[in-house]
Order: sequence, then structure tokens, then C-alpha cells
Amino acid sequence: MRLHLLALLAKEPAHGYELKQALEQTFGSAYPSPNIGQIYVTLGRLEKDGLVRAVDVEQSNRPNKKVYYLTAKGRDVLTTWVDEPTEGPRVRDEFFMKLVLAPLTGIADRMALINRQRRHYLSLMSDLNDLLSRTAPADSVAVLLIEGAMLHLQADLDWLARCQEDLA
Amino acid sequence: MSTARAGSRWIRADLRARRGQALLTVLAVAGIVAALITAVTLLEDGTNPWRSLFAQTDGAHVWFYTKDSPQVALGGIDGVTQTAGPYRSAPVTVVQDGKKEPAALRAMPTTPPRVAHPVVAEGRWLDPAQSDGVVVERSFARALRLKLGDAFSIIALSGERHTLYVRGIADSAEQGFYPEWTPGLAWVLPATLDRIEPMLGRSEWVTGLRLADPDATQVVSQRVVVMLEDQLQRVYTWREVRAAMELDNRLLGTLLALFGVVGLVAAALALANAAGGRVLGQLRDLATLKSMGFTRGQLALLLLVEHGALGLLGVGVGTLAGWAVTVAVLGTTSVAPVPVLAIVGGTALTVLAAVGVPAWRGGRTPPIPGAPAAPPRGHLSRLARLGLLVRLPPALVLGTRDAFTRRLPAFLTAFGLAVPMMMITIGLGVWATLDNFLSHPEQVGQHASLYVRPGKLEAADAQRIAESDRAVQSVYAGTDVNALAPGAARSVRVRAIGSSADPYPFPVVEGRMYGQPGEAVAGQGLLNLLGARIGDRIRLTVGGSPLIVRIVGRTVEPDLDGEVLSVGLDSLAAKDSVPPEFYALALRQGADPGEVRDRLLATSGESLDVQRVVNPADRLSVIRVVIVALIAVLALIGLANLLTASALGLRDHAFDLAVLKAMGLTPRQVMATLVTGTGLLVVLGIVAGTAAGASVVTGLIDLQGYTSGVGAGIGRPPSVLTLIVAVLVAVGAALAVALIPARRAARAQVPVTSR
Amino acid sequence: MSVIKTVNLVKIYSDGAVPVPAVRGVDLQVEPGEFVAIMGPSGSGKSTLVHMLGGLDTRTSGEIWLDEKRVDTLSESAWALLRRKKVGFVFQFFNLVANMTVADNVELPALLAGASPRDARERRQSLLGALNLTERADAAPGQLSGGEQQRVALARALANQPSVLLADEPTGNLDSRNTRDVLRLLSDVHKDGQTIVMVTHDARVAALADRLVSLFDGAIVDDGRIARRRTGTAGEVIDLR
Repeated sequence: MRLHLLALLAKEPAHGYELKQALEQTFGSAYPSPNIGQIYVTLGRLEKDGLVRAVDVEQSNRPNKKVYYLTAKGRDVLTTWVDEPTEGPRVRDEFFMKLVLAPLTGIADRMALINRQRRHYLSLMSDLNDLLSRTAPADSVAVLLIEGAMLHLQADLDWLARCQEDLA
Repeated sequence: MSTARAGSRWIRADLRARRGQALLTVLAVAGIVAALITAVTLLEDGTNPWRSLFAQTDGAHVWFYTKDSPQVALGGIDGVTQTAGPYRSAPVTVVQDGKKEPAALRAMPTTPPRVAHPVVAEGRWLDPAQSDGVVVERSFARALRLKLGDAFSIIALSGERHTLYVRGIADSAEQGFYPEWTPGLAWVLPATLDRIEPMLGRSEWVTGLRLADPDATQVVSQRVVVMLEDQLQRVYTWREVRAAMELDNRLLGTLLALFGVVGLVAAALALANAAGGRVLGQLRDLATLKSMGFTRGQLALLLLVEHGALGLLGVGVGTLAGWAVTVAVLGTTSVAPVPVLAIVGGTALTVLAAVGVPAWRGGRTPPIPGAPAAPPRGHLSRLARLGLLVRLPPALVLGTRDAFTRRLPAFLTAFGLAVPMMMITIGLGVWATLDNFLSHPEQVGQHASLYVRPGKLEAADAQRIAESDRAVQSVYAGTDVNALAPGAARSVRVRAIGSSADPYPFPVVEGRMYGQPGEAVAGQGLLNLLGARIGDRIRLTVGGSPLIVRIVGRTVEPDLDGEVLSVGLDSLAAKDSVPPEFYALALRQGADPGEVRDRLLATSGESLDVQRVVNPADRLSVIRVVIVALIAVLALIGLANLLTASALGLRDHAFDLAVLKAMGLTPRQVMATLVTGTGLLVVLGIVAGTAAGASVVTGLIDLQGYTSGVGAGIGRPPSVLTLIVAVLVAVGAALAVALIPARRAARAQVPVTSR
Repeated sequence: MSVIKTVNLVKIYSDGAVPVPAVRGVDLQVEPGEFVAIMGPSGSGKSTLVHMLGGLDTRTSGEIWLDEKRVDTLSESAWALLRRKKVGFVFQFFNLVANMTVADNVELPALLAGASPRDARERRQSLLGALNLTERADAAPGQLSGGEQQRVALARALANQPSVLLADEPTGNLDSRNTRDVLRLLSDVHKDGQTIVMVTHDARVAALADRLVSLFDGAIVDDGRIARRRTGTAGEVIDLR
């Protein structure tokens, strides 16, 4: 989450609660809402590394609040992150291990594994469908994220079909 | 080069994929060409028998008669390849059934010569073992009703009677047919002739010359005239023989030309429909080819080559087939090359023209097939509402809608059927006209079916005998005279028959019948010849005395190209009209002219000369063969059109049918929808064609009658019953043809793949 | 009481030299209001199965029951009559009669089934209205986008309120936006209680179903409900790093 926060701070200085709100606003329902404590912990680490600088701002009848600014070093780190290509998802699939190994032990049969997994994926897909139908079409960040998830799921299902054809 | 290779590969693949369709195109064109060639050749042979007879007999081009056997080297004349004869020829009179016919008895050796040899059609050639044998020329034998083995009684110039026996009947191209060309011809062995006519002075010598170049006759005959001088009796050439043998085939010629042109148009239409349909079906392929880099011109050329090749292949196959048929019927030598070449060239050009338009349109296909045009709005809604309100079956409603959705193809289909149907109707009209000639000869001026000439008897006796026969209804005395018309350099026939008060019932089609002496009716040919109109007064000269008559009407006149003036006998001067030359006998209903003739001959002791009238329909009977052949061709063309239409309809509907089936249309309904779709157009085209044909047929025949001198007023439309039967048969056949593909489509699997 | 029931349904194609079994012994039961997705690799017999359920293809052996009536013994014509009232069909391609307007296409099944022209028109208007296609009523199918065509096809298939809607890859050649339109329509129809049996390889479409039937090599290898877990976010599926 470090880099997400750096990116938000690059736009304008903000305090912790504002950052949480900005995250929720940007990603909408598509992304799990972040825990405020986790945000403060992350900001603390960033400050320790010299990527952000905290300034206390006095408030009348309230405790002081810290406003965070991006440092020059922080901007460098952010630039490096944006500039370098992003790795795609790696296949680190637990199911595939089950599929390959389980029949060796005689615990389960591959066809049953595949079928169960397919229905699981479809129920995930059905959740995404529900999610999509609940999301306002104008919220394009959220819609794109959900459709991305759906396409990944479709790929997983296609791969499942390939496994069924070749292994079962 | 590279595009040619790529193109040829595409053509090959395309043809392989549509073998059946390609085959059908080839067969349709071939059928049309074959039928045209067969019809033309048979007709040509029927109306111009000279050419094939000349070829069969290796005829001579120039014939001349001399008093004595020519003693000069005729073979030495430039251009003469072979000579026939000289043969000795003696004039005799043949007596047959009480009639006397002039004949020439020709001496010919046992082995027929190489040039101008008669071709034996029945029986055998002369044989020294039977010295009383004679071979009779076919038209002469037919006129005399001679059969093999019959007695052939002749009277020589000396008055001596001889009886020979017919051993053979042969064809010859030496002279025209009897009785148009007299005397009739018969061959005997030289020894027989010497016995019959021992006097050399009473005979003449006949020599034929065969030339290298048929057009050199003029030069050669002049040379003959110069060489033989006063020995020469007369000369004639093959042109005169051919002219004498030719039927009056102007009617046939016009008819055939009309049918031929319309047949070609219909064939072109069929081909254009077929090629157009294929191009429509190929639009996607064409777009692909274009996107691959074919230019518009190359694409058009490609299509022209593909469909043109099919058409030309059809022309080739058809020519071979037509040639084979005519050779089988007539023999190799008698196929006329000019009309056949004209047909081949004409059809080949038509094929290319017919294919050119769709090819050009195909070349203009955009590389990306455009969106289909919007269907006509609310068609189903209106029709369906109407149809379903009266509870019409849905298949009928859908089919009706289908028929008219694509207007241009719909029009082409209907038109493609209407044109052949129109021609068929016209053909039936000609047939009906001929039938009318036969069943109502009085309507073509042949009220009388027998003509009696007094012969040896007195005119009054002849009239008495004729009137006393029970089958004779009325007797009209008459005389034919030749009259000179001022301005016309030739004489015309004046037929005086009946009296002005009791006129012979001519079929007057314009004006009125003559009612008093000095009035006359004329045939169209005479009116044209004299430039006269009804109501005009004309002045003719008959044997020196003037004949002034007013033409009060026009008759249908089948004789002498219509150049006949008919008057009452009392309009003629007495010196010309008394005694009458002949009596025209109108028989009672149902009487057989043959029987009456025999009876009259018997009553008069073979003294009367009784002739039957030849109906013009008998002379024109070859037209019937032509009509049948052309109806077959036209039916074939219609069939080709129909198959194209139903194939197109099917292609349009293959995918729609899946939807309709999924909606719950039963196979029977699918079939009914398809059949209704084409069937409606079929009915429309056939009915329209029949109506058009029926409305123009009498006009066309009358026009033909007008130009041939017979005159308008002979045309008869086919009977309503005939028309109804023709329409029903055509529609039935069309529906049966449309049913086959529809049936297959109805049973076909639902397509699930993209096209 | 089930809408569809098959007993040991077998289809063997014997056009070629070697008989090819496409469906081998399928027992399937579909309850009213159920939405069944049929998945499987290509050549597994999915399309053949739904075609047989709609009477577009004949079975080799086995039984088919539709609304508690045995239908596999029906003649082709009897099947056609049955389809008018009880079966709606949607294919991947060519769902519409190309030279009829959209309105005509939707009215046609109702007219075929014997509805009065007025009823057919009213039903067409309400269906096209629900699809937001009212203003395209006079367009040719070819002028519509793929998604619009398939929506009209669904309207056409549903025009007679059939007992079951059979669909064979209805979104097979649509892009994702057009697929979304069709999905929304399918899910609405299903919510109204329409029984649906659909062949698809699109997981998004299959996920709308209550039940998944997996075919493999002409036989059912899996048949079970698709669970709904009502999770909150996409993050459950995709890890955003």
C-alpha cells in the first residue's frame, strides 16, 4: 500500500483520514476498504524511510493532526515505480498443485476436482455479476476492475477446460 | 500472369463447389442451341429440299437439251469437272386413273452414273432382266399415286400404248417437283426406250454438267450456247431447279426468325439470370478477392471468363448435339452450314453479352460487403393482417411476401417465364390457324373442295353429272383467265366463278361481296400489285377486250400470292366465259371429297377431270414440326429460368429457414412457403405471357398474311381451352420443378455455423 | 413436475463411414423456473443436446419429455407445432429472417401460433419496449448491431411465452459490451420465472444460471448448483498489489 499512498500524496498533501477517503472514492466498492490503523502504520514507515515528511497542524478544540508531504526522495521512488513495467499475474495456483498431486495419493479423482473447482469459479463469477449489477455504470474505475476480474476468471475456467481435456 | 493463375484457381474451385449448377447452365444452353440448330436445319430441309437432294445425287449444275447427241467436247469447258449423259429422252403421256399426265422417259444405263445419279428411295434400280421396268421420280410417283409394282401405262407420240411396271421410286435434283415442273420424269433402260420410241427424231438428248464453282453457271451456260448453237433446245441451271423446289417459305421464314430471335432473347435472359444469381451468391468471395488485390476489371474479367466459358461450352455441346441429331435424321451431306454458323455465332455473342452485365456488376462489388438494404416497410404487417384475418395458412402469407421482397429478381423471374410462354402461345395460335384452314377451308377461299373440268365431255354434261351427285351441295361454273394490267409488266389471274347475283362464297374480310356485274373482289397481293384500294375502279385487258371492274371487297386469297381478282362469270365477256372452263363443287357437310371424286369419275366413265383442292395447311404442315420443336426449346428455357429462380430463392432462404423452423414452421409449411414464393411469380409470368401472346397472335399472323399477299383475316387465336390447358400444364410443371429443391430444403438440417 | 426430462438420451451420427456418437446416455431433468447452463469443450455434444430438446434434431434412442408429455416419438411436423407454443429457440447466428423488419420478426411467432394480429402487435410492442428497441421496429436485422440482433432474437423466442427457452451460444459472437446487454435481458427474464436451458462457453453468461451441467465426450460429468456467496468486493478474486 506504500506506493498507493505515495501516489495520492503526490497530488496534494493530506492527513491519514483524508487518504483513506481518497482510496475509497477512487476504487469504490471494487476494492476492500482499507483499515485506518494500517494507513497510519504505513505512513509511519514511509516517514522513517524519508519518503514523506509529517507536519503537525494545530486545531482548535481538537488534538493536532499530522499532514503528510511527499519528499523529493519519495517522488523519486514513486517515479521509479510508475516507470518500470509491471509484472503480470504469475501462476501460483494451489488448485493446480492439488490437481497434479492428489490423484497420486488416491485421495481424490481429477474430474471431481475440476468440476468442483469450475462450480466454485462460476459462483465467484456470479458474485462478480451481482457486484457489477450493483455498481453504477458511471463508476468506470470500479467497472473496469470487476470486468478485469471476470476476464481473469474466464481465463481460469478456460485453463480448467484444458486441464480436463488433457489430464482427466 | 500471377492474377491469371490465381484467378484460374479460384474459378476451378468455384466450379468444383457448384458442379450441379454449372452442369445445369451448360445443359440449358446446349439444349437451346441444339434445338435451334435442329429446328432450323429440319425446316431448311423441309422447305428447301434441293440442297440435300443435290448433295445426295452428286447433282449437275447445268442441264441442257439438244436435238441430237452433242458431238462437242463439253468436258473441256473451263470449270466443268464432270458430265452426266447425254441421255436420250422421249416425251410420252402417262395414263393413270383416267388422268393423262405428260412425262419424259429417260434412258439410263444399268449402273447409275457418278454424276447426277438418281437416288433410289424405294424398290430397286433398273435391271436388264426386266426390260419392262421403270423407275419413277418420287414427286411424279406421288402425284400419280404409283406404288412399287404398279402398272405404268404410257402412250408414245405414235399413239401406241405400252405398259411398264414400277420397279423403283427415286429422288433426283435434276428438275423441280411434279406438277410444278412438267413433264414428270421416269427412267428406263436404253433398250426399253428404243422399243417404245424407235424414232430418234421424236426424242431429245439431255446432258448435265457438274462445275467446280456453282457460281460459274452463267459463264458455262453461255459457252454451251455458243458451242451448240442451233442444236440447243434449252438450258437451265441449278438455280431454277432450286427455285422450283422451294416452298413458299416466307411465312415459315418469318415465323422461324421470330421464334429464333425471341428464343435467343429468352436464352440470354436465362443465362443472365443464372450468372446474375451466381454473382449475387459470390459477393462475399468477390469482396475477399478484391481485398486480396484484384482490380475491378480483373474481377469482371474473371467472372466473364467463368460464366462465359460455361455458356460457350454449352454452345459447343449444343452444336455437336444438334449436328448429331440432324445428321442422324438427314445424313451428313444435308446440314446447311450458314444457318448453323449463324446460330452458333449468335448464341455465342448472346452468351457473352448476357454474362457481361452481371460480370460488370460483380466487378463493382465493394471490398467490404455493404449492409443489406432495409426491407420494404410493413409488408408482412399489412399482408399478414389481411391474410390472417381471412385465416389464410401462414405459409401462403410468408411465401407471398417472399415473392415480392426483392423486386428486380422477382421481375426477372416472371419476365423470364413470360417471354417463352408468350412465344408458346403464339406458336399455339399458328397451330390453331392451320387447324382453322383445315376445318374451315371456306374461310380461306376454299369453299369448294373439288374442281371438275369437262375433259372429253360437253360442259353441260359435266355440270349435269356434278349436280346429280348426292353429296354435292352446289356447283359454281367458273373460268380462269389471264389479264394484263396497265402499268404492271405481267399478267394477273382473273377468276370468274358463279354469277354476280349468286356469288361464290368468297371469304370477304374487308368491304363487301360483289353483287352485280362489273364488281369484283381481290386478294391482298393484287391490291398491292396494282396499288389499288377497295372502291377503286380498275381496267384490265383480257384477250384483247377490256375488263373494267370496281373492287368492292378484299378476300382471303391463298393462291398465287394473293394476286387474284375474283368476279362473277357474268362480268366476263361471253367469249371468255362460255362454256365455263371448270365447275367448283361445294360438298355437303361431312362428305368425303375422295369418294365423291371416285364416284364422279365412275359416273362419267373416266371422262371428267376431277381435282381435289390442296389445302394450304397441307403444304405448311412442316410448320407444325417447327412449332413442336420450338415449344420444346422454349419450355427448356423457361425451365432453366425457373431452376435459377428457385436456386436463388433457396440461397436467400437457407438461413431464414432455420429461424422459421425454430419458430415452429412444419416441413410441409416450409416447403409450401418456398413453393408459394416461386409459384406466385411463375403463375404471374405464365399468365402474363399467355395474355400477351394471345393478344398479339392474331395481329402477327395477319401481318404475316398481309405481307405474303394472302391478306389479313386468317389469324386465329388458340382456343380458350387450349390456353387454359397450356397455362395449367406450364404452371403444374413449374411447380413440380420448384417442389424438388423446396422439399430438400424443408428436410435439411438447421445450419448452426456462420456463413 | 419437470419442464424437461430426458432418459438415457443418445445421438449417433451415422452419415460418414464410421458412426460418430455425439450424445451418449444423457439423463437430465429441468424444473420450472430453473436456469441451466450447459458447458463443455467443443465437440462434447452440447449443441446436439439442445437441438434434440427442441426437436430440431432427432434422437437415436432414449426419451425426451416436455411438460410431462413424451415428445421424442413426435413427427417433425408435430414437433414444429409444439415448438410454436412451448419452445423458444435462440442460436448463435441467423436468428432473424433477414428480409423482414424487426417488428415483423417479433410478430411472426405469435401470428404462427394463431394469435390475432392485434394481440401480436401488442405483444411485439411491449417486448420491444422492454428492450428499448421500439424505435428500431422498422429496421432490417442487418442494420442492427450484434447485441441488438440477439436481443431481438430473444424477444422473438419469448414472444409466445414458451415453457422453456433453449439457447445455443447466444453471445457466441458478441463483444463484451453487447454481451452485457444480452446478459441483463437473460437475467431479467429468468427473474420473471422463465425456464432456460443454455449452451455457452462464456463463464459470465453461465454464472447467471442456477445450475451447471458439464458435458464431456457426450456424457454429463458434472451436474450441480452454482452457489452464491454474496461477497463484497472484487478484491476477493483479484489481489491488487
